[in-house]
Amino acid sequence: MATSDAAGLILPFGTVQRGLRRSLRDYVSMVRWHLAGLRIWLMLLGSVQALSGVGFVLGISLFFRHIPTSAALFVSTGVPVINLVMVGLVFGPQLVASQRTAGSYEYLRTLPISRAVTAAAWYTVCLISGIPAVVVSLVVAQLRYDLPLRISLMIVPAVLLTCLTGTMLGYALGHAVGNPMVTQLVSQMLVFIIFGFAPILYPIQQMPGWLGDLNWWFPFRHMAVVIRAALTSSADPAVPTAYAVIGVWAVVAAALAGWSLGRRP
Amino acid sequence: MTGLVTSAGLAEPLCPRDDLRSGFPYWLDSFRAMLRYDWGRLRQWVGMMVVIQTLMGAGMVLMYGFFYPSITPERALYIATGAPTLALIPLGLVMVPNGVMQDKLQGTFDYVWSLPTRRSAQMLSTFTLYTLMALPGAVLALLIAFWRYGVHLSLSPILLPAVLLCAVMSVTVGYALALAIRNPLVTNVIVNALIFVVLLFSPIVYPASQLPGWLFDVHRVLPFESMAQVMRAGLTTGLATDVGLSFLVLGAWTLAGCAAAAWVVGRRH
Repeated sequence: MATSDAAGLILPFGTVQRGLRRSLRDYVSMVRWHLAGLRIWLMLLGSVQALSGVGFVLGISLFFRHIPTSAALFVSTGVPVINLVMVGLVFGPQLVASQRTAGSYEYLRTLPISRAVTAAAWYTVCLISGIPAVVVSLVVAQLRYDLPLRISLMIVPAVLLTCLTGTMLGYALGHAVGNPMVTQLVSQMLVFIIFGFAPILYPIQQMPGWLGDLNWWFPFRHMAVVIRAALTSSADPAVPTAYAVIGVWAVVAAALAGWSLGRRP
Repeated sequence: MTGLVTSAGLAEPLCPRDDLRSGFPYWLDSFRAMLRYDWGRLRQWVGMMVVIQTLMGAGMVLMYGFFYPSITPERALYIATGAPTLALIPLGLVMVPNGVMQDKLQGTFDYVWSLPTRRSAQMLSTFTLYTLMALPGAVLALLIAFWRYGVHLSLSPILLPAVLLCAVMSVTVGYALALAIRNPLVTNVIVNALIFVVLLFSPIVYPASQLPGWLFDVHRVLPFESMAQVMRAGLTTGLATDVGLSFLVLGAWTLAGCAAAAWVVGRRH
């Protein structure tokens, strides 16, 4: 057997592959694993996401006799946030919960792939399923309301970080909470909160002051700030703080997920 | 008593009673027995259901308020009077189908069907219990909305039939939906899509005149606007007039729900 044929060679114990190339290969195979495992679901999820985004963009105009441009702008620039976090934050924990019941959760944990690589692969899948919906919602919003959108390059870090924090929060929720019922309940409550009680789809002035202050401690308000600033090229002084808060949440959630994954059951 | 098992084994074959029970007194007996049975099963969930329903209704009422830059008295009145409708729809269209799906999956459904009680009595006892359970949540959601927006309501006697009909309608339609569709997954998808459409595209918390023409016509057939209309007629004066048609629409949906459920229930496997 030729030693250069690494694929056909079962390495003996004691040889540990390390390094970037190994991680890269693991990453690619994990992304392929997720995409293959979820192939029907991902298409369904993508369409549901796009439909609900478009539904929100169009539906909000029914609330008003003549919708003010500011209201249309807030909804249209808030819907991308929801699209970006929905898969990671809501579907992710439910997926983990169902993997726990089905047993594939244990199997995935036995794979010789680092936790960070697994998480990165899942993050990629969340991005893949979220971004098309963002584009569709924005195009429909632009066609319907003729909004003053001016997309700046800051959209790249804003989208990446928003999706990362949403995914990591869902990751922590799915892995740190052992009981699938609790996971399900919390993720459904999160949907309610994101749609109604976080200032994503409407200006923060329209909610009671204390609720706005409370939202400062949570990442959703800040996600809306960074995405909105990038989509309208506005210089909102709250943007740097917003990035900091979202970043802290991403780190904390990733640490929590890593801790619960690293524990032995 | 016939059909008792004695120490020697079967004393006699389990044969049916000599007289075949039928008639209205028997139906009433069945109904009473089924009410007790269903209540026994539902009792542990009642508290949770009322809480969830109130939170959903009140939560949505508060949430809709956040979407408006300024809340005019007219908007406040529409949102507040939409509260009981918003509390009734999740119960009828989400909790009832979910309950039926659970029963189907666990086999309770087949068990209940095998009982020697009239299936119409079984169905009606479920309807009665869910309708009664729907009422506290609707009232609480209304009270919270009333407190939040400080609107002046003037109750009229029409409120009682309005609330009852709305509750019965949503329960029967939800029940029929869950019965008529075999696959629980499909029911789940339909229920979720329905909630989304109802909450965004139905004139419950805003006047129907804000809808585009075609959607307005669609809502003359669907029950959601009629629900909101009859509730408004019971809670305010002058906001909703000429609700006879709305009552007719709701009555027609209730009948259709009952008929669909009766058709499924009457069939044998």
